[in-house]
Amino acid sequence: MADLKPILLVEDTPNDIELTLAALEQSQLANEIVICRDGAEALDYLHRRGIYDRPDVQDPAVVLLDLKLPKVDGLEVLGAVKSDPRTRAIPVVMLTSSREESDLVRSYELGVNAFVVKPVGFKEFFDAIQDLGVFWAVLNEPPPHRGGWPSNT
Amino acid sequence: MDGSGARPPGAADLTACDREPIHLLGTLQPHGFLLALSEPDLRIVQASANVPDLPGRPAGSVHGASLRTAFPEAEAVLAHYLSQAQPLEGAAFLTTLALGGGEGVRSYDLAAHRVGDLVVLEFEEVASEAASAQSLDALYPRLNAFVEGLHAAGSVAELCALLASDIRHITGFDRALVYRFDRDWHGTVVAEDGNGVLPSYLDLRFPASDIPAQARELYRRNRLRIIPDAGYEPVPIIPSHAPSTGAALDLSQAVLRSVSPVHVEYMRNMGTMASMSVSILVDGALWGLISCHNKAPHRVPLQARNACDFLTRIFALQLAARERGALAEQRIRLGAIQARLLAYMAEEEHFIDGLLNHPEDVLALVDAAGAAVVTAEGCRLLGATPAASEVRGIHEWVSGQPVGEGLFVTDSLGEDYPPARAFADRASGLLAISISQKYASYVLWFRPEVVQTVSWGGNPSKPATADPDGGPDRLHPRKSFETWKETVQGRSLPWSGPEVDAAKDLRSAVLGIVLRRAEELAALSEELQRSNKELEAFSYSVSHDLRAPFRHIVGYSELLRSREGANLTETGRRYVDTIADAALSAGKLVDNLLNFSQMGRNSLNRVSGDMNQLVEEVRRKTLRDVPPGRAIRWQVGSLGRVYADPVMLRLVIENLLSNAVKYTRDRPEALIEIGREPDRDGDAVFYVRDNGVGFDMAYVGKLFGVFQRLHRVEDFEGTGIGLANVRRIVERHGGRTWAEGALGRGATFHFTLPLREGAR
Repeated sequence: MADLKPILLVEDTPNDIELTLAALEQSQLANEIVICRDGAEALDYLHRRGIYDRPDVQDPAVVLLDLKLPKVDGLEVLGAVKSDPRTRAIPVVMLTSSREESDLVRSYELGVNAFVVKPVGFKEFFDAIQDLGVFWAVLNEPPPHRGGWPSNT
Repeated sequence: MDGSGARPPGAADLTACDREPIHLLGTLQPHGFLLALSEPDLRIVQASANVPDLPGRPAGSVHGASLRTAFPEAEAVLAHYLSQAQPLEGAAFLTTLALGGGEGVRSYDLAAHRVGDLVVLEFEEVASEAASAQSLDALYPRLNAFVEGLHAAGSVAELCALLASDIRHITGFDRALVYRFDRDWHGTVVAEDGNGVLPSYLDLRFPASDIPAQARELYRRNRLRIIPDAGYEPVPIIPSHAPSTGAALDLSQAVLRSVSPVHVEYMRNMGTMASMSVSILVDGALWGLISCHNKAPHRVPLQARNACDFLTRIFALQLAARERGALAEQRIRLGAIQARLLAYMAEEEHFIDGLLNHPEDVLALVDAAGAAVVTAEGCRLLGATPAASEVRGIHEWVSGQPVGEGLFVTDSLGEDYPPARAFADRASGLLAISISQKYASYVLWFRPEVVQTVSWGGNPSKPATADPDGGPDRLHPRKSFETWKETVQGRSLPWSGPEVDAAKDLRSAVLGIVLRRAEELAALSEELQRSNKELEAFSYSVSHDLRAPFRHIVGYSELLRSREGANLTETGRRYVDTIADAALSAGKLVDNLLNFSQMGRNSLNRVSGDMNQLVEEVRRKTLRDVPPGRAIRWQVGSLGRVYADPVMLRLVIENLLSNAVKYTRDRPEALIEIGREPDRDGDAVFYVRDNGVGFDMAYVGKLFGVFQRLHRVEDFEGTGIGLANVRRIVERHGGRTWAEGALGRGATFHFTLPLREGAR
């Protein structure tokens, strides 16, 4: 499964990372899980900058993006990804505690692919994460590369 | 009235009368004679036909003769007069001299004045030796007392009474009236003194047409006129026109001037044979007249007339000061009322109440009989006013008028706004101030038709016998009163300067209050916005930061149970379950709180929709969570369409239906009924009824409160926020919620939604 793309989890809270990983683990996805602890790091990864300026770094199958992040927050990351032709095609799922409608509206304006409010209930949370992972990492067919310029080389 | 231009017999002649050159009648009264002299040779160019024959000086020889030849007695005194500066207007008394000799000697009061390039010299027969003996010395005590009395008089009315009394006593007439002009030149008898021989005219009103414009002008220029005998034969001037200029002699300043035949007729009709009038001029304008009458012919000696003139001028001076003082007093009085009203308004939460609760002051401010305050909230009436619907009509009309400085004043509303004629008795006068820019809010004051306010106690006389030729019988005070009533129909007393100013001041004060209130409101709303912002920030923070720990507790408890459960004792596992449950319910509580706060903050997006469809969707969704074993009978009536925010309304229905399902779960068969009652006050009324556990009506007040629960958690789960949400949403739509129930006998929840038109 060499071409299996990783799942990029952008999350600063260790508890959430652990719980999300536990959920993804349970869904038995084979995708590698890359964790970025803030928005700046996530953008470095997506643009292969800094420590991610390596040949083995590839575009993720999906970005699970928390809203509240240190340095560069989730909405900014989302805006950067969706306004850059090179990264626009990468699915981004907002995964957040926020139930604020304004965040939801803003996210969709910026072109988010899905917006998931982390349920308080554990079962619901697990289900949601699993569904997300399965849908975006396995079922979703990414758009074909256009113009012969591979977006992930 | 005593005027050369009394009301003519035919109304059609009114304007003709206005044009009648009454100062050029060319005749004299016979109690004296007149010479018109050329200057500087003082040659007689015109003379009245009644120049007496004097010994050695036949009357026929005066024409063309020099004054020195014809009347040497007068020449010196006239020459002296002419050599001095003369008063601008009016004849000047020169001297008293005797003409003739022996038995035929007669005394004359000599008066002179210039008209054009002629000098008019008048010889007025002295009434009687006795009268002329009444010298200024004799009059002095009376004049003195009069001046003293003027100072003591408390009001203009008292001044007038004093004047009438003194004039009558000096002149010896049967009756003396003080007659006052109003703004429109209608007249009122404001004071009267009489000996009972002639009827009382006190308070009698006369239309302006009784004393036409040119008669008033004569009154202004020639302050004193006298008709000793209305039965006189007019004496012509010969020749009637000056040979040099061909112009008729202007007699307007002549003491002996004849008056209009119409007026003489009027006097005879009145049963008065003698009259005298003195003009009252205040600041050069005709304020009124003193009008004296006698049943029999009556002469007033020159000295007495001069005393009257003098008296009247003192009176006029005093009057001007008094009227100015009265205006100032009125301003002070109105100022005090206004200050009170402002204090009242400042005390009230709604300043308008400050007015409404003190009708006496509102009316007194402008001396109105009624008032209305028309605002967006309604139309409130004070005192004697037209009906509310009529006031609204006026309000609508006046709002459409171009109002200078937010003020509208009229004393003849019916002329400007014909529907007002129907209630002229209550609103002939209107004073309106606009007190709000936004809504056409007005304070309106009303005054009744002036005729309604006039009392005429006098009985001027028995009705005059009709003249067979028609006409003269119309020259009668009663007729004048009738005419005046017609003239002033639909008119109120005019609003005085201080009154209008008081209304203006009140308006600026009210606007000041409104402005201040608006500023306070703006500040409050700013404060609200800020605290709303803070609340938003708070709830945002709760949303992010408070939910997360609960999620973590739940998550880790679950991991502990699923992955490490084997290492736990039964008790340990129960503890973990409890931790998870508690954290879960806390998390849900936070979610519900957030929902609730969003309910209040999010804007309403109202659209029209099918209520039955919505209820059916919610019903199906609710059923998904219902355990399969339950039997629920649904009865859904025809619900029609509503105008509401569908997302929010869905929450309302969800809450009510899930409650109904929840609280009927002990029933073998649950019955849940959803229906619509007949519309009420422009609202659609819905209800959800169940046959569940119900509630005690004693706690109905707590039912819709936030986190209020009427059941134990073990019995019925829930955070106690569902019905609070229901109420909040319904109220935001402008509707109401209420509930009925009884323990063990089910509950009914009602809510209303405004129909589209009434939606707030």
